[in-house]
Amino acid sequence: MFTSHTRARTTLRSLAVIAATGLAAATLAGCAPSADAGDGGAADSGTVDWWGWTPEQNVATEYISAFNEEYPDITVNFRQLTIDGYEAALRPALASNVGPDLFNVAPGAQFVQFSTYATDLTASVEESLGSDWSDQLAPIGVAGLSDEDGNLRAIPTGSTFAGPVWINQGLFDQYGLTPPTTMDEWVEVCEQFRANDVGCFVQGASQTAFDQDTIQAIADTINPGLFTKATIGEAEWTDPDLVTAFATWQRMFDDGIMQEGALGIQQYPDANNAFMSQEYAMVMMGTWYMQFTRPANMVAAIEAAGVAPAEPFTMVPIPFPAAEAGGTPGAMFGDANYGLAVNAKSPDRNAATTFATWLGTSLEGQQIVANALNDIPSAVEISPEFEGIELVAPEIQQPKLEELIERAATVTDNRLLPNSDLADAIGVAATTLAAGDVTPEEAVETLQASAEASGVTFE
Amino acid sequence: MFETRSRSAKIVLQVLVTLMVLPFLFPLVVMVQGSLAGIGWGNYEAVLSRPELPLFFRNSALISIATILLVYACTMLAAFAFSKLHIRGKEVYFWLILAALTLPEVILLTPLFSTTLQLGLYNTYWSVILPLAALQIPFTVLLTRSFMNGIPDGLIEAARIDGANTLRAFWHIVLPLTRPIAAAIIVLTFIGAWNNFLLPLVFLQSPDTQTITLLPTFFIGQFNNDQTKVLAAAVVTALPIVIAYLLLQRLFERGLAAGAIK
Amino acid sequence: MEDNVVMNAPTLPSKRREVEAGSRSESTSKRRRLMPSGYLWILPAMVLCVGIIYYSVGYTGYISTLEWDGSSPVQRSVGADNYAQLFRDPIFWQAIRNTAVFFVITFAVQTALGILFAAILHSNVRLKVVYKVIIFVPVVLAPSIMAPSFRQIFGANGQLNQVLEAVGLDFLAHPWLADSATALPTLMLITVWHWTGLTFILYFAAMGQVEPEVLEAARIDGAGNLRTLWSIVLPSVRGTTIAILMLSIIGALKTFDIPYLITLGGPNYSTEFLGTYIYRQSIPLANVGYGAALSIILLVLALAFAITVNVRSQRKES
Repeated sequence: MFTSHTRARTTLRSLAVIAATGLAAATLAGCAPSADAGDGGAADSGTVDWWGWTPEQNVATEYISAFNEEYPDITVNFRQLTIDGYEAALRPALASNVGPDLFNVAPGAQFVQFSTYATDLTASVEESLGSDWSDQLAPIGVAGLSDEDGNLRAIPTGSTFAGPVWINQGLFDQYGLTPPTTMDEWVEVCEQFRANDVGCFVQGASQTAFDQDTIQAIADTINPGLFTKATIGEAEWTDPDLVTAFATWQRMFDDGIMQEGALGIQQYPDANNAFMSQEYAMVMMGTWYMQFTRPANMVAAIEAAGVAPAEPFTMVPIPFPAAEAGGTPGAMFGDANYGLAVNAKSPDRNAATTFATWLGTSLEGQQIVANALNDIPSAVEISPEFEGIELVAPEIQQPKLEELIERAATVTDNRLLPNSDLADAIGVAATTLAAGDVTPEEAVETLQASAEASGVTFE
Repeated sequence: MFETRSRSAKIVLQVLVTLMVLPFLFPLVVMVQGSLAGIGWGNYEAVLSRPELPLFFRNSALISIATILLVYACTMLAAFAFSKLHIRGKEVYFWLILAALTLPEVILLTPLFSTTLQLGLYNTYWSVILPLAALQIPFTVLLTRSFMNGIPDGLIEAARIDGANTLRAFWHIVLPLTRPIAAAIIVLTFIGAWNNFLLPLVFLQSPDTQTITLLPTFFIGQFNNDQTKVLAAAVVTALPIVIAYLLLQRLFERGLAAGAIK
Repeated sequence: MEDNVVMNAPTLPSKRREVEAGSRSESTSKRRRLMPSGYLWILPAMVLCVGIIYYSVGYTGYISTLEWDGSSPVQRSVGADNYAQLFRDPIFWQAIRNTAVFFVITFAVQTALGILFAAILHSNVRLKVVYKVIIFVPVVLAPSIMAPSFRQIFGANGQLNQVLEAVGLDFLAHPWLADSATALPTLMLITVWHWTGLTFILYFAAMGQVEPEVLEAARIDGAGNLRTLWSIVLPSVRGTTIAILMLSIIGALKTFDIPYLITLGGPNYSTEFLGTYIYRQSIPLANVGYGAALSIILLVLALAFAITVNVRSQRKES
């Protein structure tokens, strides 16, 4: 039916339609108004839209109302997004000229991506704390939120650290078991628990960020700091101590420390719920778990895990058991949980800076952060006011928490990696070992090659 | 479809469909159990007592209704033309529409964002309605076109011979005959619009324009994830669509015969 | 009316098709001249789809030639490098293999179940509404909500293993999602659960077009239930099957929610799909250029397959 002539005409006509529509869109996109940065508005009045995946809505309300006692003319609207949706929503919003005035940014890969949209906050922090400001804030938080030139692009409000294992003290007491200090003891403890039909240790190994915590903790018991050195190219992944660390990770699966099917579940919500419902006695969680030593938080967490009636139980942190006898347990690593960054395009930059500086550096703001037991505050002199904080078992838990907070103050190793391709490669090593597909030697070979490909330069 | 004259044949068919449906039921039971775990009905109370619920519900309803109307109108017109009218190079246009379906949503976000921004639609309901409709139409045109192919051309030609113009033939003959597929389109578009999470998340900034899909996020924090209430929220969110399906399901069965008589 | 003749004639299915095909080819040229133009009718749909989406296609094509993290002002043009890298990427090929297996099996099972359910529920059974709702509800539930429940059901101590143990099939019990060999089949099962309601609805609507007289005629000729389903019902819902086939191809290539939310593409990429890989590259790994190149490949593959299906089905018809 068709002649080649009509076909050509048809194609032409369709092309014209596409071109017209496409052009219209492209022209529209091309004439984007340039950012009108303005002078940033007043520092003590205005409306600040704040986006973040944390804190919880009720904690944010607490921050804002305390802030408003000092700055009644600044309205802060907090929008909480889920951690999964955060980057998807933030990326286009920051690219536009109508994004939030203030936004959370996590150290590591997220900071690398989003800090270019943030103002330099060094001067504001210096104004608030004086020229020795960097001595008054936890160095680990500041380091992760400063750019290559040392400018502070987001103000850390508090930090979280991983390294310890949390145990259900009640279950250990019930079966007369002592928390393990070495891998061999750990295998023993798990056999005992299993004999009593209780799960031993639970990990959501399909979420590889948490696998990285466990592997780093293992490595630190063998050779403290070596893992971090490897992430920045100061040591090779094929280092014998790291081979031992990865072999130990694999052993946790082979010798029955890990629960069956660990690779099929996630740390949140699966492993967390399994621990909260007392199906398992141990879990790899960091300092953020301190909040669940408060009875109200723990009851909510147990109910969320689907258990009724919720009876709070005593949980305490223990140092990660040493991979080999004579190892060095107890290392921790961490970062600012989040920093507050001010959108460079915001017309209310100054008011946003006022809030960020208040929350990150003022005694009032930092004390609220400390008492929530979610983050360890940035200001080094602030610690939780335990006399006003109800705990499930204060006499057992309070000394452990104080010890944990004290140790956190000296941590220099990071938990989050700025290089997401490297984090991905560590995840591959973790899951291939867990599945038994490779030997530790093969895993580190692959990891070393991937690390080089991802841009890490090795000395 | 299946003829069951004898009593035993009836029983066999009934048993067969029951067995087939059991695997579908199983996860639903687990889900409802999950939504009642912990504090039981308290989970539903917690979900239903969120002060944002009526607002979110209204916003989702507005977006869904507008999307359905837009999709229905565009689909019926386009599918009729693709099936029964003369368009030179028909297939080329058809593929142009279908190609819009192939890009993943996450890839569309950034360019869609700049489009909505330039059109001045960012942070309005249109920034969600228009992309939702644009993403749904290829799908519904494809289905409706194949359904309309099943309507004999003779019916329309006969009407035209009787003096009706194309529009009247479309209105009085085609639309009534397409009720079953229209019901399907409405239900599917409703599901797509009601359940969409990413577009409202990214394109609707102010809290009072947010939609019902953001309801579960109140129960998911950084270190808290209350799956019992998330499941309860899912049950609450799913109810309107199930009700819509029940209301529309009579239309699914109205076949050719029923329409032709009119 | 000639169609009434077709409708009422107690012909066998093969004969009926001949009649239809004959009348079609005979009148094609005459009809084309009679048919009014449809350009105006498709305009609204074209404006919406092409206007809203095509800028995105062009933009994605442009981004696919860049090395860019999606937010930094530094964009490096790399030409076709992203595409060259893609063909050397073992995970890309793994994703393609997974997608192919996933598509073939889920499409076959979903279609068969959809047809069966639609045929049974068009027949004389009780409690139809209950069955319809049970099959339909999974379509409505967002996978993000269901993901933790599925990890629980298919976990080592999950409900599926409990059921297996209860019926004496202990040896089958298994941590389904933790094992590379069973994770993909498990996700297929979940996908079938999720989408069968959709195929059911479409077939249920399409079967309303089958004239009862034709069914009756076949029965008088002595055809049984299955034979009627196979030779009369299936051919008359063929258009719907083709549409579902095309949608399934596109859907399989875009598959994202279920694998990403349930297994994160693991263990060890055993459930990685093109859709999940695009997401992983574009958002968590921030290789936006590479993600865009993958998307363009997806677009090309989806269109190529869908056009092939369409052209072949039309050739077969005429």
